[in-house]
Parts: sequence; C-alpha cells; structure tokens
Amino acid sequence: METPSDLPKFAVLQLSGCSGCEVSLLNSDEWISNFNLVYMPLVVSTHKLPEDIEVLLVSGGVRTDEDLHNLHKGASRSKKLIAVGTCALSGGIAQIPEGHISRESYLDSSHRLRLPSMLPRAYPIDKFVHVDLYLPGCPPTPELFITALKEAENARIASIVCQECGRKKLTNMRPTSISGPRSGTPDPEICLINQGYLCLGTSTRGGCGALCTRPGHACVGCRGPANPYLNKDPEFVLDNLRRVFTRMTDIPIEEINAALASPWLSLFLGQFTDYTQDQSLPQRTKEKMI
Amino acid sequence: MTTITYPLSRIEGHARVVIDIHDDEVFRADFQAMEMRGFSYYVQGIPAEQITVIVPRICGVCSTAHQVASVKALEDLFGITPPPLACEIREVLLLGQLIQNQATSLFIFTMPDRVNASSLFEIAETPEAKARQFSLAQMSLKIRKIGTDLISLAGGQFIHPIKTVIGGVTSSIPREKADAMIKTIEELLPMAVDLVDNYWQMSTEMVDRIGTWGDDEPTYYLASTEADSFRLNSKRLRVMCNEGRECHTFAPQEYENYLTIEESDYSYAGTSSFQGHIMRANSLARINLTNSFGTPKADAYLKRFGEAYGKPAHAILFFDLCRGIELVYALEKAKQMLETDLQHGEAMVRYAPRDGIGFGLVEAPRGPLIHRYEVENGLIKKADFIIPTVHNMLAIRRALMVAAKRYVSPEGISNELSRAVGRVVRAFDPCIACATK
Repeated sequence: METPSDLPKFAVLQLSGCSGCEVSLLNSDEWISNFNLVYMPLVVSTHKLPEDIEVLLVSGGVRTDEDLHNLHKGASRSKKLIAVGTCALSGGIAQIPEGHISRESYLDSSHRLRLPSMLPRAYPIDKFVHVDLYLPGCPPTPELFITALKEAENARIASIVCQECGRKKLTNMRPTSISGPRSGTPDPEICLINQGYLCLGTSTRGGCGALCTRPGHACVGCRGPANPYLNKDPEFVLDNLRRVFTRMTDIPIEEINAALASPWLSLFLGQFTDYTQDQSLPQRTKEKMI
Repeated sequence: MTTITYPLSRIEGHARVVIDIHDDEVFRADFQAMEMRGFSYYVQGIPAEQITVIVPRICGVCSTAHQVASVKALEDLFGITPPPLACEIREVLLLGQLIQNQATSLFIFTMPDRVNASSLFEIAETPEAKARQFSLAQMSLKIRKIGTDLISLAGGQFIHPIKTVIGGVTSSIPREKADAMIKTIEELLPMAVDLVDNYWQMSTEMVDRIGTWGDDEPTYYLASTEADSFRLNSKRLRVMCNEGRECHTFAPQEYENYLTIEESDYSYAGTSSFQGHIMRANSLARINLTNSFGTPKADAYLKRFGEAYGKPAHAILFFDLCRGIELVYALEKAKQMLETDLQHGEAMVRYAPRDGIGFGLVEAPRGPLIHRYEVENGLIKKADFIIPTVHNMLAIRRALMVAAKRYVSPEGISNELSRAVGRVVRAFDPCIACATK
C-alpha cells in the first residue's frame, strides 16, 4: 500500500443539498485506495479546506452566502473541479425559482440571527467558478463516480436511458392518457410509454443503468439532457419529447403539454433548460459531461 | 462573555454548536442548523401525485423514510389500502435503510471518536496500524453495503427509491435475487456482530477514559415501533414518560394534540416537545420502548444492554450502543423476511385520486416521521414534515449544556469540551437537511 503523501489529494465540498451524492460516493469503496481524502466534512473531522487539492468534487447548489464563499475558496485551491449532482448543475430541487407561489414566503421566513443568509435562489456552481467536468444525476451512481474519478477521458456512456432499459417499445399499444401510475402493476417487459407513463428516458442521458425504469418507475430525467440536447433551446428538448409521445401514443397534445410543464419534471427539466436560459452560464460541451 | 463556536463534522448537513460562557458559568449551549432547505414551501402548488418523487430529495440519508411516509400520506388521503405484499416489501426497504444508516453512524461517524481519529479513512502511518485501519474500514463498508443493496432490491434506485408508489410497489422481489441477498447476509452477519462487539468494547474503553456515558436527566421518549414487534412501516406513536412507563399512544392524525412544534430564532431547524416536556427519539427511545425484537441475536443484545445499564437507560452515549443492537436486528430480520415469498401475489392496486387531508407515518432511523398533506383540486395546498431530528433538538441542547458544564470550571475550559460536543451531537445522529422546513 502506498503512503498517504504519494496519493493525490482529494476533497469533497458539500454546498446546500441532501448529502445523497456523498452517500453514493461512499457506496463505492474503489476510490479509497487511489486518493488521499483530505476534506469531506460528512466523514472526516477537518474544517479547513487544504491547499493544493488535486481533485475537488462539489455537490449541492449555491444557496447561502456561506456556500458562495466556500465555493470560491475551494475552486482557488484545487487543480480539477468536478460538479456533481443535479443541485451543483442546476441549483437543484430546492431552488424555488422566480414565479413560484411560495418563493416570497420562503425568503421572508429565511432569516435568522447570526446565521448564513439565503440567496435569492439556489444557483448552479458554474455561474461562479470554472468547472472541468460535470457529473449529472440525482444522485449519480457509484459506478459513474468511479468513471469520473478514474477514466473520465475514455468514458463510454449510454447515450439515452432507453439504451440500458431493455423494455420493448410496441407499435400496437397506444395509451390515450397518462394514467399508467394509477393502473396497477406495470408489465415488466413493455416500454412504460406504451403503458401510459410520462417517461423521459428517450431524451435523458444514460449511464445510470436505467435504475428507475427497469423496476417500473418512469424516468424523471435526473441525468439531464443527452448529448444532442446539450445547450439547445428548451423548446427543442420539449419538442422532441412531444414528438416521441405523439408517435407512440394517442394521448391528446394538451395533456402532454400540461404534463411536460408540471413542476415534477421541472425539477430535472431544469437541467435541460437552465443551460440555455441563463446567458451567464458557460457552455457545457459533451466532452465535459460524464 | 466568551462565545465558542464549534463547527461540526461527521453528521449529515451543515450545523454548529455555540456555547456562551460568562464568569466561568455556561449559560447557553445551542445547536444550530445553518441552511434552510425550504421543501414545505417548494411543494406548494405541485400536483399531489408527484410529491413522492420530490420529497425523498429532502435528504439523501433518510430518503427512503421520506418516500414511504409520502406514499402512505397519499394513500391515507386517497383512501387506498396497499396489498400485504407491498407492505412487506416496504418493510424490507426500511430495514435496508436502517442497516445503511446505523452502519454509517456507528462506523463512519462515531467510531473515530472512540480512537481519537479524524475519520474511518484516516491512513495510519505504521504498517500494522495501517493494515488494521484498512481492514476495519473495508469491513464497515461491507456491512453498510448490505443496507444499500437491500434498498436497491426493495426500492429500485439506491438513494432516492422509486419502487414504492401510491397503491403498492411497482415490482416484487424475485426468488433468485432474494436468495443471493440471504447468502450475503448469512456470510456477513458474523462480521457485523464482531464489529458491534468491537464497537461496544471501544465505547466502554472510551467511557473509562472520559469518566462518563454522558449522564443527563431522564426525558420523555418517542417511538412508533411496537413493544413486541419492531415494525418500521408503523401505525401509531408511543410515548414513555419521565418515570419510565409507557403513558400515551396516538395516531399520526392526532400529532398536533400531543407535539408542540416551534421555530427557533438561532437555527433554521425548529424544536418539538411533548406537551412541554423534553423528549428523545432515535435508537435509545426505541430500545427503551422495546420488550423483544423476535430475532435471537438482537434479543440477546437487548438483554445484555438492559442488564448492564438498566431499562429505561438515559445516558447519551447509549444511543450509539443501541444503534449497534438495531443493526444486528435489521440484518436478522431482513434475512427472515427474504426467506418468505416476496415474489408472488398482488403488488399494487389501481386507484383514483381525490382531495382531502392525509397522514403518513414511518419509523425512520432517527425516530417517527410524519408527512401531512392537504390536497385541493389535485394540488398540494399545504405540506408539513414532522421530523425526528426536530423531536431531539431540545434534548440535544440540554445534553450539550450538561457536557459544557462538565468541562468549564474556574480553572478554564478543558480541551475535552470540543471532543465532548462532537460525541454528544453524533450520539443523536441529527440530520440537518431534514430538520429545516
């Protein structure tokens, strides 16, 4: 075994999030012998970000002024910065965007004496710092963490979730409404779209192993856009989804549109749309995506 | 006046402890959550049936409990009874979470305190220490992984599970997968028992060194497991009063009659009390309220614990020992359940949504978790999350006061206080992401 000082310094900075990304990282122990873990408050009692970090993983969105401070500090002290998870990439599920009915009451009630202040929303980290590699997912699987840490250059990632799902798409099974979830046990072999589910697997980046769709839950798009939809207008992505549903189902277009606008999907469709709606964000190219 | 701030690590989320000292006297010890997640705000206005995908994201550590509580709340609201097979699979899922959580708290969060290390992954300098450290880390992660694998098996996705849905579960557990899991548990159970014994031994050695298990006055205790059936997919809450007897039971629908939940000026997490009394939830509360687990090894530990420390037991560090007992129970019970048929039969029923108010209860690793939803025109009008860590907030503060008083004297502030703060907070295994509204 190598001595700690031979190994590259590895740190994990957690901004505002759910710790799910860290838990996923812990689910794989393959990295333990490859890195010298110098900072990860969830598992190590160190409170100071060291200098000369080789690889810094950042999870969580920029929600508080303290998050922003720590993010700048981490970026200036590391050679390579990897953005991990939906929150770091899009601000995440708790971003409470403008226009949300509870945004004002949330901001009004989020003041405490002597504690960090909440920013107007939760921001993706590349609004503020340079990101070398993006690892989307809510959370990314342990296998994807290992790919990002060990073999990012040669990563071969399934282009869309359908590639890894294995459910059969049928031409003669055309649902007329999105009532799949209310209809009892789904057939284990047939595509969920054929069974009336609003599944986003056709446009969502693969690599997750189709963890959700194989046991029978629609893909919610947590890995964000597949390569063809990176940095495209949000309407382009939505159009593609509409095309899939009109080709495969007889669900009225109004119902499809309403469903695609639902907050449930916006959680993750945020990852599809944030990229282009906010001009202050850098281009995320496919070479930088795991 | 002196104010000392202790940043915290090896817990879930961002929190700190602030202790105010004036003329050698401790007059405030506070435990502060540093961020506000905002889920009870965020979910307002969303279609009710979509909330079960959103709320696991409150917390990546307790996601399973949130998901099941959420589904149960909507089933209550829609008037649905899930089939028995689905309830069994949900129990396996919750056992998986208990294993993952207790292994994380025991080995990753608190074991380093027993040996004054900064982490389980701290790489020792001498070859012998390095080898020992490495094998301990490997074993701990292996045991923890059983929990993760059970969550994947019974829940689909490994952090934010998806198989539990309104009406049941999307798919059952095939025999061959159950058998493979049983084999793993059989192989690793002796290792888990060894680790728990080691942990117990290390804890008593630490207590010999520091001179206390963290003595504190008795409190009320709150759990939703039953005295003779430790079911996490639970139905009602039980309360033990100061004098050590079970004095109340109530349904989740009645929680507002019993629990007082308030916001705090100095923390993004609120507090909760039982009709004004400080209470504790989590492992020690469950063990104090359990007569029998119904699995041999866990029952032997339960007996050993009661004989050594009394029942009910109140010292703070007993929370950690109780987690070890529960880890062994969850492994034994998961194996028992996987030996039954979880493959055949109805797994999910059809349903039609409706408006109303619904409650969902589960016993999360940190205690009873309740989701309460109000649904109007198919949309969430109001959502309340009644969080186990919040039930422990007043108890954490009082335990921190006890520790601070122990280590602050006219001679000065002992260096041990910093370690004591970490030990006390970690004994409660708080979850900050969950604890903020």
